[in-house]
Amino acid sequence: MNIALAILWKDLITEWRARDRVIAMLLFSLLTAVIFYFALPDQRPETLRALTPGLLWTAYLFAAILGLNRSFALELENEALSGLALAPGGRGWIFLGKMAANFILLSLVQVLTALAFAIFYGIDFGSSIGELSLTIGLATLGICSVGTLLAAMAVRTRLREVLLPILLLPALVPILAGAVRATLSVMAGEELPFSAIQLLIVIDGIYLVVSFLGFDYILDE
Amino acid sequence: MTQNTNSSSHPTASLHEGLSPLEERVGRWRVFVGVGLALVTIVYAWAVVQAPVDSSQGIIQKILYVHPPLAYGAYLGFVITAIGGFLYLWRGREDFDRLAVSGAEVGVLFCTLMLITGPIWARGTWGRWWSWDPRLTVTLLLWFVYLAYLLLRSFAGPGPRTARFAAVYSMVGLVLIPLNYYVIEIFDNRSMHPDNLEKGSLGDGMGWPFLMGNLALGFAFVYLLLLRWDVEARRLFERRREAEQDVDQ
Amino acid sequence: MTPPLLQLEAVEKSYGPVTALRSTDLELKEGETVSLLGPNGAGKSTLLRIAAGLAAPTRGKVKLQGHAHDRQAVGYLGHATLLYPELTALENLVFAGRLYGVQATEQRAEQLLEEEGLAAVAHRRAGGFSRGMSQRLAIARARVHDPRLLLLDEPFTGLDVPATEALTQRLHDLRNQGQSWLLVTHEVQQAASLSDTALLVIGGRIVQTLSGAELNAETLGHAYKLALESRS
Repeated sequence: MNIALAILWKDLITEWRARDRVIAMLLFSLLTAVIFYFALPDQRPETLRALTPGLLWTAYLFAAILGLNRSFALELENEALSGLALAPGGRGWIFLGKMAANFILLSLVQVLTALAFAIFYGIDFGSSIGELSLTIGLATLGICSVGTLLAAMAVRTRLREVLLPILLLPALVPILAGAVRATLSVMAGEELPFSAIQLLIVIDGIYLVVSFLGFDYILDE
Repeated sequence: MTQNTNSSSHPTASLHEGLSPLEERVGRWRVFVGVGLALVTIVYAWAVVQAPVDSSQGIIQKILYVHPPLAYGAYLGFVITAIGGFLYLWRGREDFDRLAVSGAEVGVLFCTLMLITGPIWARGTWGRWWSWDPRLTVTLLLWFVYLAYLLLRSFAGPGPRTARFAAVYSMVGLVLIPLNYYVIEIFDNRSMHPDNLEKGSLGDGMGWPFLMGNLALGFAFVYLLLLRWDVEARRLFERRREAEQDVDQ
Repeated sequence: MTPPLLQLEAVEKSYGPVTALRSTDLELKEGETVSLLGPNGAGKSTLLRIAAGLAAPTRGKVKLQGHAHDRQAVGYLGHATLLYPELTALENLVFAGRLYGVQATEQRAEQLLEEEGLAAVAHRRAGGFSRGMSQRLAIARARVHDPRLLLLDEPFTGLDVPATEALTQRLHDLRNQGQSWLLVTHEVQQAASLSDTALLVIGGRIVQTLSGAELNAETLGHAYKLALESRS
């Protein structure tokens, strides 16, 4: 547990000083938001309501991939990842620390991106902020769990950053399906669909366990 | 301070002498399965040709003698990959990793053929190549997962780390199968895909060619799996021999 | 009889088709300093990474004090410094200390910076350090949990003459304090002067052992040359 907290502290302090990861993720998802303007057939409210959840989540996914890759790219400098692997005890705690840092940084980017969507496309998230936060939080937990596991592998292959989306996106389909449905319902002013939240919780649980255990096997040579 | 120079005994000497007992046995099994495959295929081909033409679907219905068995093979391959991966993580024996990669490659082959034969049948029967039917969607996603699995293997380089990466990824792939069905269960119950073919759904004279199809493709699956396993074993053996020669020069 | 600090029993390591280390046995007692001398690609670094717990042996056993391998007991310094450039020297050590569950991490980190002569730059980022300073900080990092066994992989690489001399002096001090280590080097002089025992590693095997009176730069250099010639 202390190892996880130490890594979380280290990752956040590093990001605070360099600020490169959050800025890159944010610029990327903001650009995506702008590009969507050209992808939209029209600006009518019902079009926006129908398309925004999918577009928002697509922006989130790509920002996540960017951030996850960077999360382990910086562990490759000076072979710092070996330094983590040398730590005594189970490697699952290393996973939890890296995952928590990714979760916090991605959440920050998500809030700012949602704000940009609200401003650009006149969408009112305010009335359903609680339900939306729950949905985004649950989905992001799942994304960061399996994403942290797969990023730790992908950056150490010859394809490096290119491999992560290929490995990760198929694993994120169930999360995306649940998150987009829930966001659609919330934005339509309906109640949060219990089935979608249940799905996200189940996926989070499974991915957390698989990644926590799997991390034990991927740090050695 | 003691240590052993150990220059007389060659740790990889057994590899120079040939294949391990397991590898020899696999080679023998493969011959038997190959003979079985050849015999069954002849009967199968004849059965499909002489089976009656379906009254409503026409000749295109004959794809059903090959498409479902391909699907069974695809899923079987992916389950074998996950089992091999799990056993490799647990026991660390190279044989299990070889089983995993064989299962993945044969599974991808079967899955690809299924994804080709399915739309051909769908075009003839539904009138369009693809529909976002639950079963089609899940299978397509699984196909992507296992292509990614093979890509991961080829870009992580040789060695035990690659085997562990692949094994961990196959665990993710395994949990994705029920998860994807769960997603579809919740959101999308509209299904056009025929249910698992039971005897009742096949017309007169169609049951036994269908059975032969399962048998023939079952044989083909096992044969290819053993062949792939054998190739992997021999490849490693050759590479080790070359590496030894480089060192000994 | 106390079990040896480090014991390798018939340890082998292959990466796919390539065998990096062939059946190797090795024992290192508490307080002993051992050098591994050999050309590039001989398997020295592989041996060290196995001893560090970074790589699992393909076959054979690694024991520390007669028990299963425990990463808590070893400190490792490889070709890279394992440091985070965005963190200060002090933060790097505090972070490493927390990974090992070191008590009173801050004091331990300050004490190590003092010992390595880095107290003045404790609050400067490691990314701006010279190669020599980085290497001293990296050694402090490897020692943060006061490991019984230090594993040093060519620690002199890239150091200029004064930095090399300073590091040599540091290692002599540590040795006098009873620190055990396994040092990988391809310099005969260092292998002879910094260890109780020198092992010649060639082609993935330990081919010769020199210790005691026969361990001096001249005999070791001669043995090394002979061993290399018999290979080619």
